[in-house]
Amino acid sequence: MRRIPWEILLALLAGLGLGLVYSWVVSPPRIVDAEPVVLRADFKDQYRSAIAAAYNATGNLPRARARLSLLGDRDSIVALNAQAQRMLGSGEQFESADQVAALALALDDKPNSAPISTPTIEFTNNVEDLLTATSPPPPSDAPIVLTETPEIIEVEPTATVSVATPRPTRTLVPTLGAPFALTGQETLCDSNLPDGLLQVLVLNPNRRQLAGVEIVVTWDGGKEQFFTGLKPELGNGYADYIMAPDITYTIQLARGSDVALGIVAPGCQTSSGENFFGGIKLTFQQP
Amino acid sequence: MTSNRWVFIILALLAGVGLGLAYGWVIDPVDFFDLTPDTLRADYKADYVLMTAEAYRVEQDPGLAARRLAIFGTQTPAVIAAEGLEHARANGFSDADVALMQELVTALQAWSGVQ
Repeated sequence: MRRIPWEILLALLAGLGLGLVYSWVVSPPRIVDAEPVVLRADFKDQYRSAIAAAYNATGNLPRARARLSLLGDRDSIVALNAQAQRMLGSGEQFESADQVAALALALDDKPNSAPISTPTIEFTNNVEDLLTATSPPPPSDAPIVLTETPEIIEVEPTATVSVATPRPTRTLVPTLGAPFALTGQETLCDSNLPDGLLQVLVLNPNRRQLAGVEIVVTWDGGKEQFFTGLKPELGNGYADYIMAPDITYTIQLARGSDVALGIVAPGCQTSSGENFFGGIKLTFQQP
Repeated sequence: MTSNRWVFIILALLAGVGLGLAYGWVIDPVDFFDLTPDTLRADYKADYVLMTAEAYRVEQDPGLAARRLAIFGTQTPAVIAAEGLEHARANGFSDADVALMQELVTALQAWSGVQ
């Protein structure tokens, strides 16, 4: 009976291991044809910023939507809002963050418009793309290989192509120096809301809600800051704060605004005669 | 052990290496993530240049456009934009888009000259 050639099997396995180590660790395939979805997070942020800037310039929402889809975000609106917050938190230009937030708002306003492609983006998901950086394109008679991602058909330039990059009125961007005006102050007696709830809404001249705006609340012997946009489900420009009873507060925006003086939690009564502290809603808007 | 046996061992080793390379490079290559923008495919780069050009048309700030294009790394912004323009012309971008990119290239070339 012939014995098993262990040494040959071992040599085969050792060679296999060496080959895998070389191909996975030492010299993996060089990437030259990557898609935006595999970019590092900070580069994705820059990509989103560029998309937002382009949208701000052209107003072409379908094109912006198609571009955002390349980044593979589960929810582009959430991703854009979160990025706007990060940008403001890290001290980046307000205009840039506002463009990102504005794109999120536009997507939120028109969630059902169908995306279209940018003119030249072709989706392929072929391993060969990674391996043959300089290989020529396949001949036209090569068999078509269906891939996982859909191919977006390029639109031939026609007389209507100029519509692809319309030149709409530029979206207004608030300037840093323009002070906000206190345009609304309401007393809210709603027993369903937390006692002493101070709600602040910050709007730009177009009544678009502004995220990341710092609000300063001061009282005798104390001071606190809070920001709009931390509860995006209630609006990008919304912020709230719980006022203690019998304390008089002063509210203003750190960026410069009218000052809301003498803000106190109002005393309210339910229909059954029960007393509770109501809330105040302040609205600031750039003129 | 006979020399004949060594030959078989070496052949088995080489076969194993070949199988390992084929598996690692072709069948199941490394999944890449966290890549830098310079690895993007040419059409994505061109579209990024187009985005920059669209924004530049309104902002008219070549410095800002150059900073946006700087994510592609070592080349100058004017060269990056010119490559995007070349790709756009060769791949049937609309005339309007090509015109935007041409405007950006011209602006960046002028801007580079005064830097």
